[in-house]
Amino acid sequence: MTKTIFVTSAMRKWSRRLFLTVAGGLIMASAVGLPVQAQDAEWQKVIEAGKKEGTLVLYTALVGQPSTKAIAEAFTEEYGIEVEILEARASEIRERVRVEQAAGRFAADVMFTSEGQTMLYNTQDKSVDPLPVTPNSGKINDRFKLKVPMASVMTIPYGIMINTSLVKPEDEPKSWKDLADPKWQGKILSDDPRAIGAGYLWFFSTHDRIGEDYVRKVAEQKLVFTRDQRESQRRTARGEYSIYMPVILTDFSDLKGLPVKFIIPEEGVPYVLYGNVLLKKAPHPNAAKLYLDFMQSPTVQKIYAGLGYGPVLDGMTEGLPADVKAISEAKLYGTTDTTRQNEMLAKSKEIFK
Amino acid sequence: MTIIHNRSLDDIDDTAPVLGGNAITRAFSGGSLMRLIGMLVLILILGFLTIYPLSMLLYGSLHSTPPGMAGEFNLDGYRSIMTTQNLMILANTVGISLAKTIPSLTIAVFLAWIVARTDTPFRGTLEVLITLPFFIPPILTAMAWGMLANPQVGVINMVWRWLTGAQDPLINIYSYGGVIWHMCQYSIPFLFLFMVDAFRAMDPSLEESSRMCGASRWTTFRKITLLLMLPVLTSSFMLSFIKGIETFESALFFGLPAGIKVITTDIYESINHRATPDYQYATSLSFAIMGLMFLLVIAQWAVLRGKSFQTVTGKGFRPNVMELGPWRWVTFAFCVLFFVVTVVLPVGQLLLGSFFRFFGFYTYDMLTLEHYRAVFSNSEFWRAVRNTMMLGLLGATATMALGAVVAYISIRTKWRGRSLIDGMAWLPWMMPGMVLGVGFLWAFAMLPGPIPIYGTVWALLLAYIALGTPVAVRVMTGSYHQLSYDLEECSRVHGASWFQTMWRILVALAWPAFAVGWVLTFFGIMRELSASILLYSVGSETLAVVLLKLWANGNAEQVSVIGLMMMLLVILFRWVQLRFIKARISKL
Repeated sequence: MTKTIFVTSAMRKWSRRLFLTVAGGLIMASAVGLPVQAQDAEWQKVIEAGKKEGTLVLYTALVGQPSTKAIAEAFTEEYGIEVEILEARASEIRERVRVEQAAGRFAADVMFTSEGQTMLYNTQDKSVDPLPVTPNSGKINDRFKLKVPMASVMTIPYGIMINTSLVKPEDEPKSWKDLADPKWQGKILSDDPRAIGAGYLWFFSTHDRIGEDYVRKVAEQKLVFTRDQRESQRRTARGEYSIYMPVILTDFSDLKGLPVKFIIPEEGVPYVLYGNVLLKKAPHPNAAKLYLDFMQSPTVQKIYAGLGYGPVLDGMTEGLPADVKAISEAKLYGTTDTTRQNEMLAKSKEIFK
Repeated sequence: MTIIHNRSLDDIDDTAPVLGGNAITRAFSGGSLMRLIGMLVLILILGFLTIYPLSMLLYGSLHSTPPGMAGEFNLDGYRSIMTTQNLMILANTVGISLAKTIPSLTIAVFLAWIVARTDTPFRGTLEVLITLPFFIPPILTAMAWGMLANPQVGVINMVWRWLTGAQDPLINIYSYGGVIWHMCQYSIPFLFLFMVDAFRAMDPSLEESSRMCGASRWTTFRKITLLLMLPVLTSSFMLSFIKGIETFESALFFGLPAGIKVITTDIYESINHRATPDYQYATSLSFAIMGLMFLLVIAQWAVLRGKSFQTVTGKGFRPNVMELGPWRWVTFAFCVLFFVVTVVLPVGQLLLGSFFRFFGFYTYDMLTLEHYRAVFSNSEFWRAVRNTMMLGLLGATATMALGAVVAYISIRTKWRGRSLIDGMAWLPWMMPGMVLGVGFLWAFAMLPGPIPIYGTVWALLLAYIALGTPVAVRVMTGSYHQLSYDLEECSRVHGASWFQTMWRILVALAWPAFAVGWVLTFFGIMRELSASILLYSVGSETLAVVLLKLWANGNAEQVSVIGLMMMLLVILFRWVQLRFIKARISKL
């Protein structure tokens, strides 16, 4: 009898647990599951509305990249929405957006630009809207979830390029610090660190991470300055200089066959984070939301990883060739801070007279 | 020798006889009210094209923020440019511009004289060939010269070292000399094109008289030929000098590595390489330069005022040329040398490089036609070609028509306001292209909504007309200066209407200048980037925008393919102009 009572009691306990579990599950389901369904339904509405809008106007500050068109075509295939692309350099496209909005001409939906520029769009021009929450926006790596309203897409990594006919394998620089070795005096072609651009990015990150003494030592190397990334790579390949820095590492595939080597410095790669912003009063707001989401989807993230850019979604580099994978996964070293730009530009001008 | 004091403008009766015809005819030929309205329309057009965008820039220079943003009026922009460093940069810029303008003008005058006034062999072919570099995008010739004359592995220096065993390079393109040389590469053909027809239209009897009176060839050239060319020469000098002040590519490409700074690199930096573009600084600096340049224009007016330079009169003249005897082979050799150095060397690099995977790596396994295939199969390129051809044809024609009217009124009438329109037509030339582009953006975007210019091809077309007008007016001015008033008066006396006179006398006689101006304007439109990049809209990309995209993506070889195609187009245009149109027009 006692046993029976015990069994009964045990069953009751079990039943109560089961009940609690089921009840808890139901509560959880109602707390989480139902809004997920609701969110799905909401997103479905965005998809329908975006398709009805039929067009997306994209402004991009990344000029001449074939990937822009390839991604736009993939987007059109996915949603049937045509993408109209307008390209211009960062300052030009920014002024266009600012003036257009000031004149009440809201022509563009999305701008593809850098984190630094986004801060200026947001704080100075006030030309962007808050970011929408989209299915993919929560899935990206936390370090790329920003305070500024930019939906991060990828990082452009910068490293060192050498001419293999002029630099013996044992002499190859392996780190940023190696560039301060006096043996490179007069042999380094450098992007101009005194103006916003790649050279300044190198200056900013190494100044902050390695220190001012290092930067001053490099300044004593009699660097030759340039502001043309691609032509400088060619000049180095032709043998004018032993080293070109900082080089956009993803360009390595364009120069295959030339006597050059792209080096990922031991410390890591200074980088520029690119992403999309939603422009104010976008004429196709739903198509814009879809595009922002699409750019953070595995489809696009794999396209960028395949080109060597750093994806913002984890696990995108599986199966890539070793050289591309190494660049795409390179340790991120540092980037610039827009709020300190005037101070750091002045310092750079003082050091690199 | 004094300048021929023929009949001056003051001798011509202000009031032309009232003629029949339509409203437009009457506007320019009829009573003073209609003429006033005609002039007002012209002033309005020029005002919209030049004063309006410049006034937006002036606002930008006097306001703490660009148009459309809250801010305040102040003089901070002008205060910030008043630095010792800027003064030194200005002196440097003026020095560089003079150092390129004077030799360029000298060589261009010599070449124009050889081609137009002597019996040098093959001068017809040379006339087309020596102008080719002008029509290639500067970035391409810069790249070519970088490959030819860099101190480390430049072809010229390698040959020099191989020939002499020397260690040091013969030349270094990354220097003051390099900057000036690259600028000359453009200014010599430009000045040559600008002047050659003026040399051609000169009555040789004046030179012959001088020779008969015992003057040597040199004295005749100096005291007759050059003095008669004074309007063209002063205009040429100013166009070239002002352009030299505003030149950008040469200084950025060859000057930056050598630490050479000029005004435009400073302006470029203030817009493109600061945390936030400093438009107030950029526009203030541009206006300060503009003010200085305008002093030059006033000086030119003072030099030319009250003098006449007519060489094409009602009296027939034989357009014969000077027989140089054996010296003609020396002049021929000079032209060939010029052609080899300025055309064969850089263009040869571009042509050779376009058949290899990479410029400068000329091995058998690198041979390819992929760049040609890539360009020909690029749908965006073909769309840009269509857009640019349409804009070029319309733009060049409209610009030259406007330029011809402005030049006519400022040179061949004494109508009230003629100096005003002449001055207005100069303005776009004095503002650096990258700043003026911003001016057009502000001006067209800020127009009231119902005026559909911004975001359409009209914005590009209007900007191109404004940008081309200074050259159009200068070209036509030089030509009109040479035409005697007898010709028009004779035509009018015989009952021809204003337009008939314009067409049969002025257009037919000034046609060569019109055609040269048209080609200069057309190719100016093909190359224009600063305004295009700020005004083009989706679907209205121009060739320059496509070139920028290709260049930015590292496709220098494809850019060269397009540059070479542009050059072929020039040869075609010039051939048609020199062989076909001239023959037809001369029968008018």
